Amino acid sequence: MTREPQSISETLSTSNEPSNTEITDEELMQAVCMGGRSAYQALVKRHLKSISHYAYRLLGYQKDTEDITQEVFLRLWNNAQKWKPEKSKLTTWLHRIAHNLCIDYLRKYGRMQTQDSFDDEADDSPSENKESMDEKNSQIKLLSEAIGSLPENQRSALSLCHYQGFSNKEAAAIMNISVKALESAIARAKRSLREKLTTTS
Amino acid sequence: MTLKEFTRIIDLYGSESARWPKSLRSECESFLANNIEARTLLNQQWQVDSIMEQLPVPGFPGLEARVLNQSLPERNRGFFEDVMNWLIPDESFGKQIWHPAIAACIPLVFGIVLGNYFSFGIGIEDDGFQYWGDELTMLSLTDYTETNF
Repeated sequence: MTREPQSISETLSTSNEPSNTEITDEELMQAVCMGGRSAYQALVKRHLKSISHYAYRLLGYQKDTEDITQEVFLRLWNNAQKWKPEKSKLTTWLHRIAHNLCIDYLRKYGRMQTQDSFDDEADDSPSENKESMDEKNSQIKLLSEAIGSLPENQRSALSLCHYQGFSNKEAAAIMNISVKALESAIARAKRSLREKLTTTS
Repeated sequence: MTLKEFTRIIDLYGSESARWPKSLRSECESFLANNIEARTLLNQQWQVDSIMEQLPVPGFPGLEARVLNQSLPERNRGFFEDVMNWLIPDESFGKQIWHPAIAACIPLVFGIVLGNYFSFGIGIEDDGFQYWGDELTMLSLTDYTETNF
């Protein structure tokens, strides 16, 4: 005789395929606090992409990004009870963990200069487009290098606001700086990128 | 609006006018229509923004499986650990200083309650009464006739 699960945590810790689309982060985190591994898996599937992309934009290397992302989710498991839903959204909390880990990593092993994913992908493209593709690729490479040479706080601010879609207030909370400082960092980063691209063009 | 102010808006919100603050949008657009430097600036920022959108991020094949399959420590928080976590919270200890203070008061309250309910053989009133009763009895039995004053 099988017993029906009584609570959300029980449901998530017993079912193999949780239908987690309508379950909130808060409910999943409660289940994680109770040791629900399915809830943990649901959270990983929900937040892995944004965390790994953020880490990659800060670090620039695939291997390091994977290590940091793994550590972020290990910390989610270990410190689930420390997350206060009334203070911040889960994604903000996770990005803050990722941010701190990335900053520690960069300070320990040195700063990013270039990203490692710029292989020429235009080799098999049609010949009439080859020139424009080459130009486009060179511009992408140039901008990528320019972003890589930005100070870590500017890179982080740019990534959080431009790519991750956080508001200035949320991004400032993640970086543990004031909104004014964040806005200043974004402005300086954009100005710097614009100048580099214009000068080289 | 000055070029400096317009540059600040472009720096903060990018080249898409939809992202500019609503209160300044029309002012920015009219400034843009009349200022060639502003248009050049906007065009440069548009180039930067469009290239930024195309910056690739690798797909991280196998990362999800790696994170899902990493060994997670068992969560066996017992009663003792819960109590200790309540007593000495990891975060905002200053705000929850009353937790250890309450814990320190428990033996005091416990002692007062115990002392109130149990005499432990030192009940003052009863013993006093019995003591005086015995004393009176002893006094009544004393033979004073042989006492020489």
